[in-house]
Amino acid sequence: MSSRRSRQSSSLGPSSRISDDQIADLLSKLRQLLPEIHDNRRSSKVSASKVLQETCNYIRSLHREVDDLSQRLTQLLTTIDADSPEAAIIRSLILQ
Amino acid sequence: MMTCSTSHRLKMRADKSLLRQKFLKKWVKLLQLYTSSEKLATVIERKKLIELSADVALASARGGTTRWSRALIASAFKDSHDKTPCCANGGERTLHESITRKITSKKVLQRIRGGASKEAQASSSNRIPASSIAKRLVKKRTKLLKKIVPGGESMDNVSLISETLDYIISLRAQIDVMRSLVYLSGHLDA
Repeated sequence: MSSRRSRQSSSLGPSSRISDDQIADLLSKLRQLLPEIHDNRRSSKVSASKVLQETCNYIRSLHREVDDLSQRLTQLLTTIDADSPEAAIIRSLILQ
Repeated sequence: MMTCSTSHRLKMRADKSLLRQKFLKKWVKLLQLYTSSEKLATVIERKKLIELSADVALASARGGTTRWSRALIASAFKDSHDKTPCCANGGERTLHESITRKITSKKVLQRIRGGASKEAQASSSNRIPASSIAKRLVKKRTKLLKKIVPGGESMDNVSLISETLDYIISLRAQIDVMRSLVYLSGHLDA
């Protein structure tokens, strides 16, 4: 099921020579996405383990939020009827 | 210099909006498949439908270009007879059956919640060099991340990070859209 298809990673060198720079670059991009909790720790050196930990926590909080939103949207489902005004609004949202 | 980053930011915003639109389109399409379904009697089933269809819609918005999205769709098809994962625009009927089966089954659909085992760190000795502790931490956390990102188990470390980037961006788009929908539905029955 989990295929080992290789990605089109033309921007990265052969896998045996992936440099620390490239990893650091990706890590810093990742770090930019994370909510900035520790503003005073803007060191130029990215602590890999810290970024990884923050990432895991962040993704988990995102999952929780989706879960909560799904809960709240359960009411909405009953009204997604083709003729309802709600559906018309959603349709207009999409067809802009 | 400034214009470079500004145009980059504008492009990112356009990408974000495009992703949200793609997700919303696919998601609503999937949800509409169930408008007349009497099978979704319970609240739990309806919630499962919303979550599952949202995940599939999110993954298919990537058009099979990322591994996390392929893994997510594959896991949605896990219990169906037809084991070929495909994007939602091609296999809506098969997806429909698969989702129905998943939702009405007793097994609750679990998101991968990064259920890492709380292995105790063997830090009893004070002779362990800091670098090896750091390495161990990175290894441990990488393992954790692999469990959280769909399809992560089979990724090398570099792909893992770039896939994670894409996954986070997609999740945020999903949340934005769902939040707007909640806001809408809250303000429609006024």
